[in-house]
Amino acid sequence: MDKMKTNRRSFLISSAAGISTLVFAQTAVAQGKKAVDLLNPSSPLVLPPNFAPSVWFTMESNGRTTVHIFRNEMGQHVGTAFAQIVAEELGLNWSEVTIDYPQMDNKTMSTYGLQMTGGSYSVFEEFGKLSRVAAAARDIILEQGADLLGAEIADCLVENSMVKDTLMGESITFSEILSETVIDYEVSEEDLKNVKLKKRSEYKILGKSLPALDIPEKINGSARFAIDAHVPNMVYAKIIAPPRRMGAKVKGFDDTEAKKVPGYLQTIPFNLPDEAIFGGFITHVPLVIAKSFPSAMRAAQSVKVDWDLENTSDLSSKDIEEEARNLLSDSRNAEVYWKVGDYNSCKDKNECEEVEFEYKTSMVSHVSMEPMSALANFIDGTLHIYAGHQLGTTLPSTIANYTGLKPENIIYHPHLIGGSFGKKIEYELTILASLAALATKKPVKVIFTREDDMAFAHPRTPTVQKLRALVTSKDCIGINHDVACATMQIAPFFPAFTHPPIVDGKPLKDSKIKHEAYVMLGSNNWYDIENQTANHFRQLSVEKTIPVRAVRSVGNNYTVFALETFIDEIANQIGEDPLALRLSKLKGKGVNAGASFGKSPSASFGGGKRLANVLRIASGMANYGSNALEEGTSLGISIAGAETRYNPSFLACIAKVHVDKKSAAIKVKKLTCVVDVGIAINPDGIKSQVEGSLLWGLSNALMEKMTLNQGAVVERNFDTYKWQNITSIPELEIHIVENGIYPSGVGEPATCVVAPAIGNAIFNATGVRLRSLPFSREELFEGLEKQA
Amino acid sequence: MAQLKINGKSYFVDSAADTPLLWVLREDLKLTGTKFGCGGGYCGCCTVHINGEAMRSCRIRVGDVENAIITTIEGLDPASNHPVQEAWLDLQVPQCGYCQSGQIMQAAALLAENNNPNDEEIEISMRGNLCRCMTYKRIKSAVKKAGKNMRERSV
Repeated sequence: MDKMKTNRRSFLISSAAGISTLVFAQTAVAQGKKAVDLLNPSSPLVLPPNFAPSVWFTMESNGRTTVHIFRNEMGQHVGTAFAQIVAEELGLNWSEVTIDYPQMDNKTMSTYGLQMTGGSYSVFEEFGKLSRVAAAARDIILEQGADLLGAEIADCLVENSMVKDTLMGESITFSEILSETVIDYEVSEEDLKNVKLKKRSEYKILGKSLPALDIPEKINGSARFAIDAHVPNMVYAKIIAPPRRMGAKVKGFDDTEAKKVPGYLQTIPFNLPDEAIFGGFITHVPLVIAKSFPSAMRAAQSVKVDWDLENTSDLSSKDIEEEARNLLSDSRNAEVYWKVGDYNSCKDKNECEEVEFEYKTSMVSHVSMEPMSALANFIDGTLHIYAGHQLGTTLPSTIANYTGLKPENIIYHPHLIGGSFGKKIEYELTILASLAALATKKPVKVIFTREDDMAFAHPRTPTVQKLRALVTSKDCIGINHDVACATMQIAPFFPAFTHPPIVDGKPLKDSKIKHEAYVMLGSNNWYDIENQTANHFRQLSVEKTIPVRAVRSVGNNYTVFALETFIDEIANQIGEDPLALRLSKLKGKGVNAGASFGKSPSASFGGGKRLANVLRIASGMANYGSNALEEGTSLGISIAGAETRYNPSFLACIAKVHVDKKSAAIKVKKLTCVVDVGIAINPDGIKSQVEGSLLWGLSNALMEKMTLNQGAVVERNFDTYKWQNITSIPELEIHIVENGIYPSGVGEPATCVVAPAIGNAIFNATGVRLRSLPFSREELFEGLEKQA
Repeated sequence: MAQLKINGKSYFVDSAADTPLLWVLREDLKLTGTKFGCGGGYCGCCTVHINGEAMRSCRIRVGDVENAIITTIEGLDPASNHPVQEAWLDLQVPQCGYCQSGQIMQAAALLAENNNPNDEEIEISMRGNLCRCMTYKRIKSAVKKAGKNMRERSV
């Protein structure tokens, strides 16, 4: 790093790829502005310059550092994690660290990168960058501090927002350094690469369970979520849900009765061009506008809508399931996703038996507690969007496409998200609110009622899966995993989230197949089984009926359920213990070795061996193999490296389940979960995410099922869509493992290991195998009766 | 026109008598700490105290609570220091936080009646307060911790 000779404002933007991810902005120093001398009482009270060593945080001369969080806060406490990363390398006093969530405009993406909050990617993507930028700033301040102390840099260290001269015992605070000097440096990309980062053993702030910075406002009602946004003179809008989930058009409407409702203003029918509704990103709806939301709700009840249902799909869940089986029966429908060795030729060469089972999973909806909402206010030529969105950086350009405004005239003001789990990646409401605000020339806030939110569900795709294995008398030498399900139809919008088939660990060259990255996630497992193929059978009929999308942990939920149940079935077939079989296949060989050390980000370093490690620990903690369990109680195992192979948290879950053999009542007594996250930024925060994820998995396993009837969602509120409440919560024992190399994401992964662990435990307790989610007590009852 | 007593203050609102209290709180009075979750009384996000009892404000007509003493999350404690809030902070209960106003109001009403609830009593009282982040384990521990603090302070 070079100290700059001249006192000029400069920006150096270092970028590795097309989208700039490393931004190192120079301090915004006004020319000739006098710095305050805090040690001199007669110094004029001039606001001293802030030190903004990067766009990611600002250091104020009063000592406070604000870390700017460009991801959305939706319960994962991402702001606290980022602040801990910065504070660690910068050597800050934690009590002087705050966070904010800056607005995003059209330039945000080019300056800060995509900033998607999802895929459990936030910490994984930012850790390296934030650490390096903070460390570089630390070195600059250290140099300045040493200079002011008249000390050698080598004798000084940074600690607790101070530079200390270890030789003379003197120290100077960051506040004093920033108040007394003007800092002007240029930092190159090379400097950032070479900056010295702390070792895991040196951490003082990272790795500590510091209280989350966003929690105090969440216990007294002062936290502001999107639904709480307010601007003067705003009006409220409610949609009228169409009789089909996708494609119904508004032919006309009659609001004679609605006009009698006090506060009712007007109804705007939105019929958008066909290409605009592609993939269910937005739907034709009438928007009922009123002075208050209760008026809008009341008026909406009396607006009569004439719907055009031509070209809409009227499929029901049962039809979809049957069609999935037809798809699977014809191998020409298969699109290879993941291939190791050769399943088919291996069959011919070896004397082995083929085992085959079918699994299925139902649709599961996000149902985050905060229904979707968005407020749009067009004022002085600028459209302001008040919402909570997982892809905030993309809002200006997307809304521009629908409104005809220029992206530079659109600003997004991020709000806290009251639960998302993938739901608030949708653009629909921000677009409708924008169109309505432009049409009415008033600020418009659109709120989904729960019924609207569920009518417009973007659930997890239903699946039917066929798994086949080649087994010899003692071993499994091949697995073929066929999945019939829909894609999320995001490929046209986000081509970066697609990839060709992966064959023997490498992308297949010249393949016409482009997989959406999240659909088959989890079928690309870490087992050293020499011959494996995972095929996607794309179910277009689902895509034409309902836009299924990313629900917490996405593909892992259904693929891991099927695969981990199947592994137990194979173990049973060859007479091997399910734990022993798994451990024998987790040696981290070949494609399962994980990333090389030092190859950043090396979150997957160690690969399959780390899965073996967490599995061993979990089985020890859960007393696996003990015979001291009561009648009807058993343990079941499941593992996964999720969210992706690139960003894996290595997980093992052991469920302890009791089945009452007379009534088939399933009682999950305990879930033991061990997770290797590489580096634990905030252990209690991770624990809290894993606690929530395990109960999500439990809820998915035992209760949750969204269904379609004639092209519309059946369950519209919590009287019919049932999920976990505070009763029947199992004991949760969670252990965090760190290899100390690089952190991986933890917001989602643990959801996917619960169902298979429970199903395997039910089998071990009863001998009845359940292959369909959610588990059905009736099916178990019938199975038990057959046995008797 | 309705006269309401909320958090120790008087308010006059001109909402129709059959307007749900929830929307009067949120829109007319800007007391947005009380949340809309389902509108059907299934989720508990909108829980407030009516004369000390935890009730779902989405299912209460504003005309029916004139002269009642209404407390919302904003008025639970002047310094956000109610034993339930303290315990929620200590145990870092909230994740997204959206349901937590309702959870805290429900727990405060439970503990006002019974400051030493067992697991079953907690479950019976809290089972209508859904949390999609599934912070239930911590909610349960925090209710117990708040009760313990209340018992110790009342000695």
